Amino acid sequence: MTPSPRWTLAAVAVAALLVGFVVTRVAADDRGPGERRQQVVSAGEVPGDGARTALPGLAPATGEPTLPGFDTARPAAGAVARVAGPFDDRYTWSGLRLGDGRVSGDLTVTSDVSDLLELEVVVGFYDARGDLLGTRRAVRHHTLHQDRAGAPDETQHVVVGVPGGLRGAVVAAAVGVPVLVNE
Amino acid sequence: MSVSKSKRSAGVAVVLLAGISGSALAAASTTAEAASGHDNSGRIKNVIYLLGDGMGRTHVTAARERYYGANGHLVMETLPSTGQVSTYAVNKKSGQPGESDFSPNLVTDSASAATAWSSGVKTYNAALGVDAKGNTVPTLMELAKNDGFRTGNVSTAEITDATPAGQMSHALARGCQGPTYSAAACQDPAVTGAPLPTSDVRVTPIADQIARNGTADVILGGGLARFDADDEAALRDQGYTVLGSPATQTVATKSDLAAARGSKVFGLFNKGNLTVEKFKREHPDAAQAQEPTLPTMTSKAIELLSAKARGGKGFYLQVEGALIDKRSHANDAAQTLEETKAFDDAVKVALDFAKKDGHTLVIVTADHECAGFNIIEKGTYTNAEAAVPPANVDAGNPANSSTPSRPTSGAKDPARSSGIVNGSGSADPKNFGPATFRTPDDAAGVQDGSPEASLWLTYLSGNHTGADVPIFSYGAGSEQLQGSVDNTDLFDVVGAALGVTG
Repeated sequence: MTPSPRWTLAAVAVAALLVGFVVTRVAADDRGPGERRQQVVSAGEVPGDGARTALPGLAPATGEPTLPGFDTARPAAGAVARVAGPFDDRYTWSGLRLGDGRVSGDLTVTSDVSDLLELEVVVGFYDARGDLLGTRRAVRHHTLHQDRAGAPDETQHVVVGVPGGLRGAVVAAAVGVPVLVNE
Repeated sequence: MSVSKSKRSAGVAVVLLAGISGSALAAASTTAEAASGHDNSGRIKNVIYLLGDGMGRTHVTAARERYYGANGHLVMETLPSTGQVSTYAVNKKSGQPGESDFSPNLVTDSASAATAWSSGVKTYNAALGVDAKGNTVPTLMELAKNDGFRTGNVSTAEITDATPAGQMSHALARGCQGPTYSAAACQDPAVTGAPLPTSDVRVTPIADQIARNGTADVILGGGLARFDADDEAALRDQGYTVLGSPATQTVATKSDLAAARGSKVFGLFNKGNLTVEKFKREHPDAAQAQEPTLPTMTSKAIELLSAKARGGKGFYLQVEGALIDKRSHANDAAQTLEETKAFDDAVKVALDFAKKDGHTLVIVTADHECAGFNIIEKGTYTNAEAAVPPANVDAGNPANSSTPSRPTSGAKDPARSSGIVNGSGSADPKNFGPATFRTPDDAAGVQDGSPEASLWLTYLSGNHTGADVPIFSYGAGSEQLQGSVDNTDLFDVVGAALGVTG
């Protein structure tokens, strides 16, 4: 039997609850395609032995990954909307629902699977006005010592609870996948 | 933190076993001379390094028999120098071989293997461009680029995947591919002791690194979904001709590739891995049929790199046939064979160039074997969980008798066996039936999949194995790759050929 994958729940930052998402790569401003971010040279050490470790123009990440669509999703009451991400052609959802104080569903990876290395599902929670109240994420990280019994893990059962402080206000949700690495 | 690799002798000793015949010795010497190629006077300007991901010796033999018959040869088998490569990895925090804290891991992944030949160090599975203690180590492609060589990286996988990334990035974890940073995917406190700042290259998404470090002049493959508008802008700022568009997620096509010009070209032809040749052949009108083949990408990369040589310097090109591994994981023999053939066609492109050029070293090898691919006797079958253990009893010579290492039978050993790993349908024992293929030697009318077909293929598992992999080479210096070598030795041989590891 394949063991259930280990899911880790990470509560959304308080700041994100108040001011929206901390977007690390797709800025929540009016920058258009091709416009550059602030020029920041990586502070990564340059060994001086030939390794290219400086990445001019790249702003270091400032938080965990999310998706811009959470800001505009506005799901209907009772619904779980889908937020577009870079890997939407690599998986399908089934049984996605909001109920009993949680969002749950089965995510099946439909592209090559010999190992599912990384998967992160972000869930946004919304009030009756369609305003984003906060997010939580589920993380699956492959480890070297993971038991590899059985077939590759193509389907992941995802359960993300509504944050305690939001229970009374949440009427809808949205899900998106910013991280997926499989081989 | 960084570490400079201690300089090893560029020469790889070829040990002739006691008992080798004089004629065999003479043959080896002749082979070494032939390996020098014609008219190159031992001066190598270019290196083309081709690897079939997951391609073990049986993959080569099976593809040969499938496409050319029992008496035929793949192109790679015609290269004059041949040998085998050990591929083991090490565990996290391990020292290098010979050091007191050396801790080997006998089965490598693609990341550890790529780091071995790219940087000359053993590292842990999942590591790219770092040693087993997390220290950044330079790659051959970086050293070649820094020394004025033109550089290229071609793959049928996502270009952020382990093998191509092993030349163009430094990452604690191969899953840190992008487009966005994630602590779970990018950090490894088990190696570094504590999370690294996100400004550290070792936790920077591989796509961000590739788009900004300029390590490879020509980048062709899959994985467009890993790149975004900022990456495209960074590439264009460095002078790359970008085929398709990461910003709009528009994949490039083989027509775009054919028309591509310039000293720096970036072209990704699928949002994920490229499409298997079998599908493109059977569906010529599908969108995926607009993807170039591996030999086409190889030919274009050589054209672009050889046209822009600077200051007398040549080029260093890595070419990966990635889907051999991916389809072996899936235990799909038909696709595995066809991908091996496509890879061999890319070898022909490289070899034809080398023969004409006279100053090119061509190396063909693999990173590891995948799935325990086997050719079994027609009419027989295999089962990884043997139904009956060997009796190990020899009545004629009891000295041969012993207690079987596995005394039970008929079911998996819960203490030692992970069970059937065979992708979709693994619960159905019928899926362990051998896949059968006709060969050119079979009578007309014999069909693939029939019991009459002569090539019977099976897989042992759905994952990598620790078997040594074959190596074939051509050109001055290739004689160093005869016999048994380690994957880290390839760093020395290629580095010496290019003169970048002095």
